[in-house]
Amino acid sequence: MSVAWVGSQAVFLSDAIQHAAKLLASSRCPVISFDADVHGTRSVIALAEKLGAAYDHIRGRELLNEVALFTSHGGMFTTPGEVRRRADLIILVGDLPASHHELILSWASAQPDLAGKQSRRWFHLEGGEAVSGGKDAEGELSRQVKAVILSAEAASLGTAVALLRAELAGRRTATPITNLDSLKKALAEADFPVFVFSGNTEEPTSLAMLQGLVADLNRSKRASSLFLPSDDAAWGAVLTSVWMTGFPPRTGFPNGAPVYDPERWDIQRMLRDKEADLHLWISPGDEIPAKQGRIPLVALAHTASPVAGAAVTISIAAPGIDHDCVAYSSRTGTFRATRASAPSDRPAIAGIVRQLAQALPSGEAESC
Amino acid sequence: MLIRLTGGEIIDPVNGASGRRDLWFEDGFIIDKPEGRRADKTHDLSGCIVMAGAIDIHSHIGGGNVNTARLLLPEHHAAHLPRPAATPLSNAGWSTFTTGCLYAQMGFTTVVEPAMSPYNALHTHLELSDIPIIDKATLTILGNDDFLLSLIRDKSSTDMVDDYVAWTLASTNSLGVKVINAGAAAAFKENVRSFSFDDVVPAYGVSSRGIVKTLQASVNRLGVPHPLHVHANNLGLAGSADTASVTIDAAEGVPLHLAHLQFYGYGTEGKRKFSSEAARLAEQVNNNPDVTIDVGQVMFGQTVTVSSDVTRQFLAIGNADPKKTVIIDGDGNGGGIVPYRYRKNYYGSLQWAVGLELFLLIDDPWRVFFTTDHPNGAPFTAYPDLFELLMSREARDAKSAELNAAALELTTLASIRREYTLEEIAIMTRAAPARLLGLKDRGHLGPGAIADIAVYRRGSDIAGMFREAALVFKNGDLVVENGKVVHFRWGKALRLKPTPDKAMVRRMQAYHEERYGLSLDWFTFPDSAIERDEPFAEVSCKS
Repeated sequence: MSVAWVGSQAVFLSDAIQHAAKLLASSRCPVISFDADVHGTRSVIALAEKLGAAYDHIRGRELLNEVALFTSHGGMFTTPGEVRRRADLIILVGDLPASHHELILSWASAQPDLAGKQSRRWFHLEGGEAVSGGKDAEGELSRQVKAVILSAEAASLGTAVALLRAELAGRRTATPITNLDSLKKALAEADFPVFVFSGNTEEPTSLAMLQGLVADLNRSKRASSLFLPSDDAAWGAVLTSVWMTGFPPRTGFPNGAPVYDPERWDIQRMLRDKEADLHLWISPGDEIPAKQGRIPLVALAHTASPVAGAAVTISIAAPGIDHDCVAYSSRTGTFRATRASAPSDRPAIAGIVRQLAQALPSGEAESC
Repeated sequence: MLIRLTGGEIIDPVNGASGRRDLWFEDGFIIDKPEGRRADKTHDLSGCIVMAGAIDIHSHIGGGNVNTARLLLPEHHAAHLPRPAATPLSNAGWSTFTTGCLYAQMGFTTVVEPAMSPYNALHTHLELSDIPIIDKATLTILGNDDFLLSLIRDKSSTDMVDDYVAWTLASTNSLGVKVINAGAAAAFKENVRSFSFDDVVPAYGVSSRGIVKTLQASVNRLGVPHPLHVHANNLGLAGSADTASVTIDAAEGVPLHLAHLQFYGYGTEGKRKFSSEAARLAEQVNNNPDVTIDVGQVMFGQTVTVSSDVTRQFLAIGNADPKKTVIIDGDGNGGGIVPYRYRKNYYGSLQWAVGLELFLLIDDPWRVFFTTDHPNGAPFTAYPDLFELLMSREARDAKSAELNAAALELTTLASIRREYTLEEIAIMTRAAPARLLGLKDRGHLGPGAIADIAVYRRGSDIAGMFREAALVFKNGDLVVENGKVVHFRWGKALRLKPTPDKAMVRRMQAYHEERYGLSLDWFTFPDSAIERDEPFAEVSCKS
């Protein structure tokens, strides 16, 4: 089976690496979009530094608000383990990614053994369209955990969080929140309530507002929040990028040193505005990259055929499936080493990217 | 390759008096002068001093909390990058790569990350593996975790406690055990906001003292070379000297290491009810030979405090500068990230003086260790300035003149004439840390030691001398020349590797499946997960 193509022509992997390296070396402003496990991410960032390239996760748009919560505000957080074992009151906030529903349901079937009461209550704060109508997975989640619905008529999630914060702080609001008294009673009785949230790409300030609410509660009692990233692999890439460069993705190396700028290094914008002149796409997912205009595309994808329009395509392994990997997991809130579920000979992202780096004209050792 | 260093003044307190003699090494190890052989490479070190590579026993260089601090403060890192000399204390966001380079440039070759949460061990080791040049090690945090507190509450056997501690050391690949505000993080989850040595964690009925004593005894029984590393209660509070004092008394003839004692050196005298008790604590340390301490010196400027002492960090939120913080109720631990600017006001001046008093009033350099508790008191890049303060009374006096006089009057600093010698610096930063950590292969320049060697150009500018080593060898590789990294290599993480008791492994499997709904392999990892050649090196327990 072929694993490498130049255009639509199958070639040896080494030839594809050489061809891609030539394109990268001759590029004036290469950009990298990627989705990888920890070791793949390490190799991508090392390559970006060597090239003087900018990099972003392919879900960089969704990461923006989640990253900004930390870079601009901070907050009070806990772990999935503590939620399972200690939280006697769980408030789900807004839509939570379906990938986390199994985790949330697992809490419903476990007693909080570190809580005094060894039982817990559930609420779900809605924004916009009601989730209680049962027409989507979110409504089903609410029903399965028997959550009491909190909603403010026609209010967006950000507005609903702000209204809830105001109400809990004893301020009057114009829009009532359903079941508010029930929540107030539950909060008064709870020892360790936890607000469970994910990134809200539409209303970034809602995340900061929620942290303000948690801080308010902690003036006299305990409360915390659990952050469930919109995408676990993407959050793992954020953490890896932060330790390697000091910055999250949307970082570039214009003068050798890393520069973080979420607008300047928005890869899609750079491609759209033709600032970039080469796009290196790296993802083991199902998504196939689209070539942008005349900008050459080098695609490292989990594919059995060449990517349409790509100058070079290299087939890569899926971490955790084709090979052992280390990736972030919201089940534990940290990194986990995972065995390959279906080991194969497909090349790992890290290996291919290192070969690309070694094939570049500069013989210097990678510096990170 | 056979290397000869000649003409330099060797300062190696473990192996005899300082003096000018040749040093030979080959294949990464120091050797006796080989008879009848010529060196493949000779370095003429006339005018230089030669020491073993320095060892930092307490510096927060990697792991979840450190990385969260980076994420919280990208502007600090951005400010530092283009003008590092102008912002020496604004660099809490240092990357792993820069951390290794900057340590190496100062002649440090081994650094201990002293606060690794067990469930964050893989993350921590991934970060450490990306720190180039130097060797690393970790201390695993215990003492707020449900399993241990339950064992103590249930009066389980000492064997059971030892098996758990040994399993934790083995599964987290660490070099020792640290306890941080024992019991306080667990109590904080129950809304307990102040916690002293004899206070009790409500859910367990176990006192902080009981936790410390349990772990201290277990570490000693297991033969872990490094004594229990204790971050005591009430850090940073006026009157915390009393807490430190009772903790030192609790050593009771068994080795105990007290971390960043400066942050406990405070009394309640004076108009501001914040005074120095450093002289009293120093005398107490002098009289307790089983106690070692590191200082946690405060310098001035912007930094970020990074601590698993969530109780203390929560109380410090109001002092955050800039006003953004992260507080974490973790699994069996806590964490807090609070940016802070040490100012030359009354409080900052007093803290600065307390640290120096401890350095200068504790007589035995084998028992006082050189730290700023990076980045809590100051980033580790402030070390050269601190060396100068310890070695020069004139430098201390000059700096004191810039500071708050009312604060300094409440200290003994002005009356202290002591100046550290180079031999004492070598003990405090090389020989003593190696002994404290059980690292027989480093901290000295005798035959058999690994060739971790720092060469400094002797000069009147003490800080400048230590800031930019003339040469640094790591395992015999020349990695720094004239204060600049010239060769990159990957160091190892030093670990104990006790064989875990099989019954304890089964018990931990059952515990994690029942309490977390996950198999044990979610919380452990093989060496291969690090994806470096030989990422670890083993250190022996005491027999």
